[in-house]
Amino acid sequence: MSPDESEITLQRKAKGKRPYYFANPDVDRLLSMVMALTGELSVTRDRLDTLERVAAEKGLFSSEDIEQYALTDADMEARAARHQTIFKEVTRIIVGELEDLEATEDRDYSAVVSQVENDG
Amino acid sequence: MPNAYKEQQLHDALPTTSHDELARQHFVRSFKEHLVTDLHPGLKTVYEKRAKGKFIAEHQREPETIQEVGQVMKQDSHYQAWSSLLRTSQEMMWSSAQIPVQRAIHELATQASETPAAGSLRLNPDLKIPAYHTAVDIHCQPGGYHTEYINNDVAQGAIYDRAVYIYAMGQMGVNNADMGDSTVAWLKREHPELKPTRILDMGCAVGHSTLPYVSGFEGAEVHAIDVAAPMLRYAHARASSMGLPVHFSQQNAETIDFEDNSFDLVVSHILLHETSSAAIKNIIRECHRVLKPGGMMLHVETPPYEGMEPFDTFLFDWDSENNNEPFWRKSHLLDLEALARDSGFQSHKPIQIMVPSAFQETQRSNTFQGGDFGGGGVWFVYGCQK
Repeated sequence: MSPDESEITLQRKAKGKRPYYFANPDVDRLLSMVMALTGELSVTRDRLDTLERVAAEKGLFSSEDIEQYALTDADMEARAARHQTIFKEVTRIIVGELEDLEATEDRDYSAVVSQVENDG
Repeated sequence: MPNAYKEQQLHDALPTTSHDELARQHFVRSFKEHLVTDLHPGLKTVYEKRAKGKFIAEHQREPETIQEVGQVMKQDSHYQAWSSLLRTSQEMMWSSAQIPVQRAIHELATQASETPAAGSLRLNPDLKIPAYHTAVDIHCQPGGYHTEYINNDVAQGAIYDRAVYIYAMGQMGVNNADMGDSTVAWLKREHPELKPTRILDMGCAVGHSTLPYVSGFEGAEVHAIDVAAPMLRYAHARASSMGLPVHFSQQNAETIDFEDNSFDLVVSHILLHETSSAAIKNIIRECHRVLKPGGMMLHVETPPYEGMEPFDTFLFDWDSENNNEPFWRKSHLLDLEALARDSGFQSHKPIQIMVPSAFQETQRSNTFQGGDFGGGGVWFVYGCQK
């Protein structure tokens, strides 16, 4: 790669202070992330849509084949298990706090710092 | 509007997109349509049903200014959500247009420089980019119009061309040409006696509004100026790929190097609100100087605030605080008649009219998304004959 063919990174943030609208700007930040995720979901759905159309045009399978495809109980059980894995990942922070609360010994973090710093 | 959906007209300068890059851009267009169609109408509802009452309870009268409407609307959760989403949609729009350009920046520059030229391109590397361009990146395009990343860079132009189509949701036509098309149609209808042979478009960016003057006035010599080199390189490649000759040059509209009395028609499209109080005076004075006696100056803009309801003004003013448009508010409050008169236009009364959009292929939203350029169905035209 010659020097003038180097990879270029464009400026991604517009110059100028970004306004926030909610009393807590974290709501704006979260909303922005939700919309980015929605966008990526939409991109994926579009890709699946294209996939089905190409498959149908090439005579592989049609959207109707997908609609009519019957899952066995075992298939559904495997899917349900995968759903649970996803839920566990997504709600990890909430469940994690509960685990702390339920722990027999719920020690203040700074107390732990103090302990390891001062045990010698 | 499922049957009216149209994609932008392809041309050789336009960046190519992968399946997913294109899908990302289509999502942003749909996102903006959702904001206009489903969330924008609620702003009026919450204003009438809950926000306005709070102001009246405190002041025993209705809000009368942008600031007074803002006092209660900015506290309203629906307004907060709408604004936050609209700002986000703007950021996603630029991002989705940047991704394919960043990937192919070198190829785009080569392709543009190798396009057989129609017209000409004259750049001035010594031109000082005015402060009103560099202080913030206007309408939130990262890097503004002027930033260059490589030699012969066209990136900012390529990003802008695509983003404008997404922003307007296709409602400025397949070539984003509605402002030029509408003005040409109006001129031919209202002033058939004006047969311009030399035309200047100021602040042309990638030439969306410039090209209608080439096709609309056959044989006319069309010049177009902008301060930003990446826009002009791209504009030249784009016009050339369409076989339309335009003479592009890098100039500030405040101090043009063309001779006195040398143009029949001087136009601009959404330029004035991107300048400043001092610059706008210089620009109108330059228009007067370069126009031939009897020549016509026309600036296409969004309508002034005068006569608008306070609530509508507040929404229409959204861009001034929220979309990096620092001169938007002031430019919509100017005494345009005095501006023309003080700049030398004294023999004719200034024109201040609403011109119907030439683009009727789709059903319009007829609603402004903040300062929506595409949805109104009319353009405000300010000008004067010399």
